[in-house]
Amino acid sequence: MFRLLMSNPFREDLVSRSRPEACTVVIFGATGDLTHRKLIPALYNLAIDGELPPGVKIIGFARREKSDEVFREGLKELNREVSRNGHDEEIWNDFENAVEYHQSEFQDSDGYSRLADRLDAIDADRGGKGNRLFYIASAPEYFDDILEHLKAAGLNESKDGCWSRVIVEKPFGTDLPSAQHLNEVVNQTFEEKDTYRIDHYLGKETAQNIMVLRFANAIFEPLWNSKYIKQVQITCSEHLGMEGGRGGYYDKAGALRDMVQNHLLQLLSLVAMEPPTDLSADGVRDEKVKVIRSLRQWDTPELVAENVVRAQYSEGHVHGNSVVGYREEDRVDPESMTETYVALRCMVDTWRWSGVPFYIRMGKRLPKKATEISVHFRSAPNVLFNATPGETDEGNVLVIRIQPDEGISLRMVSKLPGTTLRLEPVKMDFHYSTSFGKGSPEAYERLLLDSMAGDATLFARRDEVEEAWKFIDHIHRAWHQNDTGQEPEMAEFVAGSWGPEAADALLEKDGNTWRRL
Amino acid sequence: MTVFDNTMSLGIEVPIDKIERELRQLWEVDDARTNASLINLAVYSEAKGALAENSDVIREITREHACRALLIGLDNDIKETSVRAWITAHCHLAHGQKSVCCEQIAFQLTGHSRGLFRNTIFAHLQSDLPLIFWWQGNLSDMFNESLYRRIDRLVIDSSDWDEVGRQFTEINEAISLVNLVVQDLAWTRTYHFRLAIASLYDDLIASKSLIHVSKVKIIANPKHFTSGLQLLAWFAEMSGWKRTQDLISDQGDLGSYRFSNKEGNIIDTELMLEKGSAPIGKIEVISDGVTICVSREAGGKHLHHQLNCGEHVIDIHGPADSDSSEELLADQLSRGGKNSLFKKILPVFFGMLEQ
Repeated sequence: MFRLLMSNPFREDLVSRSRPEACTVVIFGATGDLTHRKLIPALYNLAIDGELPPGVKIIGFARREKSDEVFREGLKELNREVSRNGHDEEIWNDFENAVEYHQSEFQDSDGYSRLADRLDAIDADRGGKGNRLFYIASAPEYFDDILEHLKAAGLNESKDGCWSRVIVEKPFGTDLPSAQHLNEVVNQTFEEKDTYRIDHYLGKETAQNIMVLRFANAIFEPLWNSKYIKQVQITCSEHLGMEGGRGGYYDKAGALRDMVQNHLLQLLSLVAMEPPTDLSADGVRDEKVKVIRSLRQWDTPELVAENVVRAQYSEGHVHGNSVVGYREEDRVDPESMTETYVALRCMVDTWRWSGVPFYIRMGKRLPKKATEISVHFRSAPNVLFNATPGETDEGNVLVIRIQPDEGISLRMVSKLPGTTLRLEPVKMDFHYSTSFGKGSPEAYERLLLDSMAGDATLFARRDEVEEAWKFIDHIHRAWHQNDTGQEPEMAEFVAGSWGPEAADALLEKDGNTWRRL
Repeated sequence: MTVFDNTMSLGIEVPIDKIERELRQLWEVDDARTNASLINLAVYSEAKGALAENSDVIREITREHACRALLIGLDNDIKETSVRAWITAHCHLAHGQKSVCCEQIAFQLTGHSRGLFRNTIFAHLQSDLPLIFWWQGNLSDMFNESLYRRIDRLVIDSSDWDEVGRQFTEINEAISLVNLVVQDLAWTRTYHFRLAIASLYDDLIASKSLIHVSKVKIIANPKHFTSGLQLLAWFAEMSGWKRTQDLISDQGDLGSYRFSNKEGNIIDTELMLEKGSAPIGKIEVISDGVTICVSREAGGKHLHHQLNCGEHVIDIHGPADSDSSEELLADQLSRGGKNSLFKKILPVFFGMLEQ
């Protein structure tokens, strides 16, 4: 993660990470929201921070007819709205000169031949340096076509000491077979070392800080095991529902596949992993994949019913506004069996985590937007202050807030002031925003720079993705393909509440409760 | 105007022995605010009226850097030894939601205050937090070992100094004695120039041309002569060059230095001082057929990055460093680190400074 290349002597100490190299970034799906709201503003902010290597060119590849000027104008308009560092006209002018539009259907071979010619011309202009970064931000159904055409046009080949890399956006497959198929297609086109499966959660500052917290502070690691930790909870709650026509996509995906398979299992692996031997991409990812591989498989409908809860929201109130139930949402099947909420009880079967449940919950239309990891420590022995049952049943909790209000807090027990001995929990709280006023870079900024530098640490490797799908598929199959007709129940909860009662019961079996956010 | 005429922005005047108690009371009246602190930031000045000005500076710095601020003003003209203190808090909305406040204690000292200075200041640090000490202006006899031994990071601005050589000798002594971490804002002023040079040398052709560099020319504003010299020292050190002999120029404001690289090639460098220039106006590096130039117009907000190699040309704009000391300090605090690169270039810099 923090590898430093020293071939440019002037880079020493200016940046503590791998050096990004000049390249041409080709974005497939360039007229989409992701390109306009995330990718271009991320590249622009890198430019304004002086981090974008000179000579970087950007080609937007999409189907619609557009001139370079119209394309740039659209990008500029949105950049003004969303750019983290504001919009500086002078730097934008230089930046947009490096942006071009390439119109082609994704299945049109000729479009890729023209792209190859265009890239060769750019390389020649740049002085022969032909690094290429292909960013596939299109709808998933085009992934295969794009990859196969890139190969047919020879664009996957690295020439003369240069590199050719691909970034693939989520969803990376919809189940294990489709992910395996996609991996096959990707790896027939690009080598694994040149494949960057993006999971933007890993680019978030607090997600990166999990490893720092664990391995740079001597006080945590000795306690980071089943002897001292009773349970871990990972919560991702969203107050939004299916606004902006998201229902069409979401109804096909569901909470389990949209969020748990990628983002939340990635967070779980960062919390549960063993210390890597080094900070190289494979060093870190080797340890993360071991965690996913160690997840106990809920591979029968009975085990799924015992350990996983699914639910949909019904009509209710969120942030003071009345909202419709999931099945009444725009573009959602009125008889949909897609979960908008999922709660899982996971067991990581390793020496370190034996017997410690990891609870994951994710839901739409919950009371607020928050992604947090809470590590619940075992209570102190039942002597002295803990001798009276119920007096201090709240043990220490370490909370890592991923978003919003990124930070870390630690709950501990303290004596209430007064002549009698009364104990109450208190909280030590560290907020990124109050401690470091400067805004963190957007996750995409970090990830784009890493991909230009050839650092894949914060990207998912093939085996991680497939192991995660393997775990998720058992659950999904039990929900949707159970031959007995005894599918685990689809619970319901009122929009604006913290989920169904069944999710509370899932933890009560272990004597635990969900942390109140 | 002296500080005594303008204490409004310093807050409430409090007795020295009741500072902590009064600060606690400040928070008790309003529990809707968050008191945040990540560092102790002391700002010391012997200039008249600096205390009030620095209170305004701290208000801006605390937008990005939560700290306990200790402002210290020393008035040498008044012989009687005395100390007065004021407390206040600077509050800002954090992301439009929460009011985040930082405490500030201001001290006005007069007379022979060396002992008073140390005891008063160090009694009011927040424990376990690092002490960043921003010394404004020339180093005086208040700058001594018993002070800098307790500092985690010393911030200076050598562009404000009268006798640069003498004062850097003191700084060098402090570094040797206690391994002091020094951050010269004159060095911070070169940051985006260094970043621009580094990024231009990411270019393959530029990178190959480095061993053929024959001339480096830097233009700096006379006030920012140390920034220009530090930039030159950095370029030479990072390129692996060694000083050979210095060229003697007949132009009074021209500093010329000769280096040789590992291949034995000679590189002549010049530091030219131009009134009306930006702090750093230009750095131009000339090799066989390749010219690299980073320049900035006076008052300009951007650097102009240029690489010229026949048909291969890079011509773009990038951000420039701020001209304001408080913004430079804020940038420096954001970057953190132990400033090891600055230490690395110091021997070359001192060597050129002695010339």
